[in-house]
Amino acid sequence: MTLLKVDNISKSFNTLQVLQNVTLDVQPGERHVIIGPNGAGKTTLFNCITGQLPLNSGAVFLEDVEISKLPPNKLVHLGMARTFQKNNLFGDLTVKENLHLALTALKPYRYQLFKPLSNYSDLKKETEELIEQWQISDRQNVKVDNLSYGEQRLLEVLLALASKPKILLLDEPTSGMSPAETAQTSEMIQKLPRSVALLVIEHDMDVVFAIADRITVIHHGEVILSGTPEEVRNDDTVRQIYFGGGAKAHA
Amino acid sequence: MSIYIVQLLTGVAYGMLYFMIAAGLTIILGVMNVVNLAHGAFFLLGTYFAFTFMSLHLNFWLALLLAVIVTAILGIIIEKLLINKLYGKELEQVLLTFGLTFVIADCAKWIWGTEMQTIAVPELLNSSITIGEMVFPAYRLFVVLVGCILAVILWYLESRTRVGAIIRAGVDDRAMVAALGINVRLVFTGVFAFGAGLAGLSGVLGGPLIGMYTGMDSDILVTSLIVVVIGGLGSWKGSFVGAILIGLIETLGKIWFPSLSMLIVFLLMVVVLMIRPQGLYGKVVSQ
Amino acid sequence: MKNNLFIILILIISVSGLPFLLSGFGVDLATEIYIMAIFAMSLGLLMGFAGMVSLGHAAFFAIGAYTVAILGQFINNVYILILSAIIIAGLIALLTGSLFIRTSNFYFLMITLAFGQLLYALAWQLENWTGGADGMRVSATLDFGFGEIASPLAIYYLMGIAFIFVYILLKLFVNSPAGRIIKGIMENPSRMAALGYEVRVYKLLVYSLAGALAGFAGSLYGYFNMFVSPDLTYWKFSGEVMIMVIFGGVGTLIGPVLGAGLFIILQNFISSYTERWQLILGAILVLLVLVGKGGIIHWFGYFKEKFIIRKGTKNVETSKPIEEEREVIT
Repeated sequence: MTLLKVDNISKSFNTLQVLQNVTLDVQPGERHVIIGPNGAGKTTLFNCITGQLPLNSGAVFLEDVEISKLPPNKLVHLGMARTFQKNNLFGDLTVKENLHLALTALKPYRYQLFKPLSNYSDLKKETEELIEQWQISDRQNVKVDNLSYGEQRLLEVLLALASKPKILLLDEPTSGMSPAETAQTSEMIQKLPRSVALLVIEHDMDVVFAIADRITVIHHGEVILSGTPEEVRNDDTVRQIYFGGGAKAHA
Repeated sequence: MSIYIVQLLTGVAYGMLYFMIAAGLTIILGVMNVVNLAHGAFFLLGTYFAFTFMSLHLNFWLALLLAVIVTAILGIIIEKLLINKLYGKELEQVLLTFGLTFVIADCAKWIWGTEMQTIAVPELLNSSITIGEMVFPAYRLFVVLVGCILAVILWYLESRTRVGAIIRAGVDDRAMVAALGINVRLVFTGVFAFGAGLAGLSGVLGGPLIGMYTGMDSDILVTSLIVVVIGGLGSWKGSFVGAILIGLIETLGKIWFPSLSMLIVFLLMVVVLMIRPQGLYGKVVSQ
Repeated sequence: MKNNLFIILILIISVSGLPFLLSGFGVDLATEIYIMAIFAMSLGLLMGFAGMVSLGHAAFFAIGAYTVAILGQFINNVYILILSAIIIAGLIALLTGSLFIRTSNFYFLMITLAFGQLLYALAWQLENWTGGADGMRVSATLDFGFGEIASPLAIYYLMGIAFIFVYILLKLFVNSPAGRIIKGIMENPSRMAALGYEVRVYKLLVYSLAGALAGFAGSLYGYFNMFVSPDLTYWKFSGEVMIMVIFGGVGTLIGPVLGAGLFIILQNFISSYTERWQLILGAILVLLVLVGKGGIIHWFGYFKEKFIIRKGTKNVETSKPIEEEREVIT
């Protein structure tokens, strides 16, 4: 069964057509990367899929259930999570407290009013597991505002992972990172279990080809190609847009 | 029927008073981002200043002029001395202007007492115009006229002058104005003084209609804040429409449902906010 | 946790010990402070933990007080009356809140202000029920089933216990899952939605809880003052509670308590010397805004930083005052 199906969606802001008849799909466990020049409409596509923006036409399905009109918070409960291009964290809280917030979202006791949060042992355990798994135990009590940029990007992904999604949408996980941090993040993404499918927007071609099972190229709001990394690498139009033809390459 | 038409005039006249005070309030909010809870106090002071000048045997028109000028100067002093220190701290500004309402209202009580007073209608306008069975007091017609003239002046100022362009830019994007090399402090002081002066004008003109009493500043403040919300932040056009709407509802409401006019006003505000959260003519501000 | 127990212990000791140090008038004043402290904490919860700045919170206080006054004419049962006050205030907060929470910042401030003024107008106009501008006497008696509580000292202890109870309740709330989530929503609502939370449900929850607590405080005030009037829902009263919260310290629970204490003591002190107390109180308020360092509770942190940290014994980071300033308008 197809996990995520984006069916012929369009989106415009006033007179500006940002997405035009975009169709794509993600299979369970697949790593699907979306590339395209700046302003191609990639983040808008994410916002349309995750319910942040209403569609003009078309529909989005998650496991054959239409989700086009559902708000973002409902989607999390259906197994979809996302990260943001700009870090979108709780700066005043520590790493651990950020994880607590993310993990509590799916707990039945999220409406519990008078019992201290610290009393829930399952929450404690899951937090520790995440911390251990991603080897951030030495940073767990640091206020997020005091983390390095790369660490914040990592936490951004961890918050999304906390809901144990079937599909995770990563919006430019390496944006603004140093080469070393980029390599680290690429490695981390590759380490993500296959139980979660990935839909990734990425500019760094090394990262793209390291993680992608399939690549979809978007240009001016339209899908111009979707195929294996090999097919994309050898496609003339893509080369035109990306690697030649005077267009600025994004590295 | 004719009584309603006369009441309609009264409603519009009250609406014009609300418009004058709301125009200042909305622009102070829009440009300076200050919720000026002391704005009703300027209205009160305008009335009392005019009252005092008239008791010194000045005529109404001179008293009007002087009262507006003195209120505007007071606005400058308050802006320069106090509000100036707190830009960017909205909560503190709310508290500061809240404290000022206590100070000004209590001073007014001290100086002018708590008895209800009124300002006499100027002789020139102490007549009425009769059309068929309907009797229109000339003074109310005059207030409507002043309100309309003010609306035209503000429209001209906003759309045709450099000052208006700066103010419009200020409502849209405050940082932008600073980046353009415009003296923001001066703009703020000017806007605040202008708003205070308008509130003073409204107070003087309202003197013969509403009179002056303790707590008037609060009543008028709450009403004009509602006008601002209904009309939309920073929009003079919105204030104009909203003010007339509220003036009519209050006046006609008092005839038909004496105890429910506040409820109608409140419901109108809720409905507007639910349908158009930015007010009738407010700009949508992206978060 | 240890810190919390320590504060609660201090509260218990001061509440039980104060009457031995105070005159009869002082005991009355302290009683009023406990009631206002409950009220201020309820607004403090809304402002400091949910970022919702209301300028009409007195509406719920008045609903509680009027409930005791009006229903008390028919049923003289303290349990039923206080419970009704809490439930009615909470329900009205739930109903109006479901509309109000759709707005934010300045618009929320305005719509709550207008709601308070609406109730003010109604309290004036529905004379048959409320006594209109003259207000009405509270005829219900404080009798929990073992005789009427009438002595000022007994009322003092009753309100003191209510105050400590609410403090503990709120302390539990802000540390509960829902409390933490509400704070997360204040910081970053869009991210909380993306994490899977129903942002509006939580906002409505905290607004209703704050309303119910204000109603509770109002019902106690009804019993304490034995008289209610429209002034209880006037916007200036809402503004005064806001002052208590901000001068005590937004973002803490004990801050609004200190703010309530300071405000009421100051108000009584000044008004006992001069009729012009509003003028002086207003001027003090203006001054405090200009020199204030974000609330009394933060002054402690400030002094600690200034005088203790200089000796180099403590880590600066831990004793830094917590800044919880929220934007009213964006």
